[in-house]
Amino acid sequence: MHSNLINVAVIGYVGATGLALAYLVQRHDLVHRLSTLAALAGWAVHTIALVLRSLELGAPPLGNLPDAISVAVWVIVLLEVLLEQRTGLRVLGAFVLPVAVILGLKATSGRPGALAPALGSAWVWVHIALAMVGIAAFVFNFAGAIMYLLQERQLKLKRPGAFYYRLPSLETLDRLTFRTLALGFPFLTTGLVLGVLWARAAWGSALAFDPLAFFSLVAWVIYAGTLAGRAAAGWHGRRAAYCSIVGFAALALTLGAGLFLPGRHGS
Amino acid sequence: MPLFVAGLSHRNAPVELREQLAVEDDKLRELLHDLQASDALHEVMVLSTCNRVEVYGVADVPGEARALVFRSLCRHRGLDLAAVEPILYTHLDADAVHHAFRVSASLDSMMLGEPQILGQVKDAFALAQACGTVGPQLHPLFSQAFNVAKRVRTETGIARHAVSVSFAAVELARKIFDGLGGRAVLLVGAGKMSELAAKHLVAQGAFPIYVANRTWARAQDLARALSGTAVPWDELLTALAAVDIVVTSTGASAPVITQAAVSRVMHGRRARPLFFIDIAVPRDVEPGVDVLDDVYRYDIDDLKQVVDANLRERAREAQRAESLVEREVGKFVVRQSDAEVIPTIVSLRARLEDIRLGEVRKTLARLPDAGPETLAAIEALSTAMVNKILHAPITKLRESSRAGASRSWLELVHELFGLGRRG
Repeated sequence: MHSNLINVAVIGYVGATGLALAYLVQRHDLVHRLSTLAALAGWAVHTIALVLRSLELGAPPLGNLPDAISVAVWVIVLLEVLLEQRTGLRVLGAFVLPVAVILGLKATSGRPGALAPALGSAWVWVHIALAMVGIAAFVFNFAGAIMYLLQERQLKLKRPGAFYYRLPSLETLDRLTFRTLALGFPFLTTGLVLGVLWARAAWGSALAFDPLAFFSLVAWVIYAGTLAGRAAAGWHGRRAAYCSIVGFAALALTLGAGLFLPGRHGS
Repeated sequence: MPLFVAGLSHRNAPVELREQLAVEDDKLRELLHDLQASDALHEVMVLSTCNRVEVYGVADVPGEARALVFRSLCRHRGLDLAAVEPILYTHLDADAVHHAFRVSASLDSMMLGEPQILGQVKDAFALAQACGTVGPQLHPLFSQAFNVAKRVRTETGIARHAVSVSFAAVELARKIFDGLGGRAVLLVGAGKMSELAAKHLVAQGAFPIYVANRTWARAQDLARALSGTAVPWDELLTALAAVDIVVTSTGASAPVITQAAVSRVMHGRRARPLFFIDIAVPRDVEPGVDVLDDVYRYDIDDLKQVVDANLRERAREAQRAESLVEREVGKFVVRQSDAEVIPTIVSLRARLEDIRLGEVRKTLARLPDAGPETLAAIEALSTAMVNKILHAPITKLRESSRAGASRSWLELVHELFGLGRRG
């Protein structure tokens, strides 16, 4: 039941993505409205699926990586719709929803794993929940960086194309990437710290090699460097956007490692 | 009754002819009064702008009405109708509706999406209304044309992007900066074009304005005109560090702002972009600044290129507008043609219902013992017969009206069922 509902939700998200991309090309209000509707419908089904899943598990649906990613997707879609409403940045969906769909497919492709045996302490739930909110924020950070680079390129080339007309100003996009970085980073940091502390408590050592932990540390270093560069050295614009993209690549490797490589996070 | 539009526009008539035919409001009022007095036209409205002279009217014989209107327009300017007549276009009924919608929505304008035409059509309509020449056909036509024009404006991007160089520069600035409120502007040189661009920027909230010019007095004059501050020429680079947008238009033969200077200035600016609008020829800003991060430089050719792209974007949006207009024309025509036959359908129903009730009453008078079942059966039988009989004529009337040929059918139905005179 749960996995069927998840599939329905992903179909909703795929539809929303297609419509969001069509809106980017066509800029038809109706297309945008349909995209939002499809996303919300998918999200509603997703909510039910997550509730059923926690009832089935008797615990939050964060006990294994596919479930946790599914929660991250749920957060991303909600934030996407809310942000579009609040900021009027209607093209956001075209950049965020594809990432949500890829993550969603990852979540459904994974085996419906059981609760990992080592999960006992309440802290581990917090560890996973914080990490997932951090990931959601970094999806927006990534989308903002892509949009910034596209708009910057159009302005430098002096040949206005589709993106010039559809994307907002460079300052708006730079602020979006900065704010999402500033938001995601504390979540990611706290999540990582909790993970390390808890690993030491559970396994007696924090540093045993785990692929997911390794790549997440790489991502953390990149994001920390970007944030420091922004705060101290006035990094912004293109350079910050490149950093965001590299950081997100590391984050994608993190999730990939957790799903496909053996380790403490694998099921 | 046939609706028609006849006229000429920038599409088919040279400006010499258009300006000769264009009439001012006073003369137009006179003309409308004269036309009202004649029997040839039931309703009429004349739209006269520098790009088109058109007559929208309702007449039994549109050709005759067209000649009448244009004869008096020509007479007014001493023109020969024979010279004008061959180039006039005429559209009837649905095509006339289509034309009215397209013109109002600025889809037939010389500059696609220009905003003036809607106001001009509204003025022409108000004038005709004041003269009492607008009636039951032109009134709904133009109310709907105004609605459609508004929808086209808000739902498509036909009027969205700048088509002048100075506005295009402002739009570019808005793609770099998050709003122009409180952005400092530096004018280098005091040309007319840069003044215009500066005015647009000020209108968007840009502030403060600095003016640097080799001639100190000229810098002061322009600074005063823009409520800005004059900056001594040798402090140009200092001012550069403090502003967000630079508009240059000097007559200098070599660049006055070099890549090296801008590079130095950018070091101290951190995250603040710098936008050069270089309207001067030869150019005032070294093109080499393009390689610097956060520096955006548009010279006059770049700006023209942006305007061209904007025009192409408008043309793309115009296609969406055209399909919107077509859908609206379809809806309007159906509504109008239904409205045309509905009174006849209503009186036809009433007539048959009268007959039915009369006959039912007579029958019942002869059946004093009829029980409720019999009564119900008679009621059902008579109603069913009336509906069956009505079905074919009503369908035919609706079909014929949508095909634009309802007149003879309406008369036939009135005649056959004895409905009395129409209207």
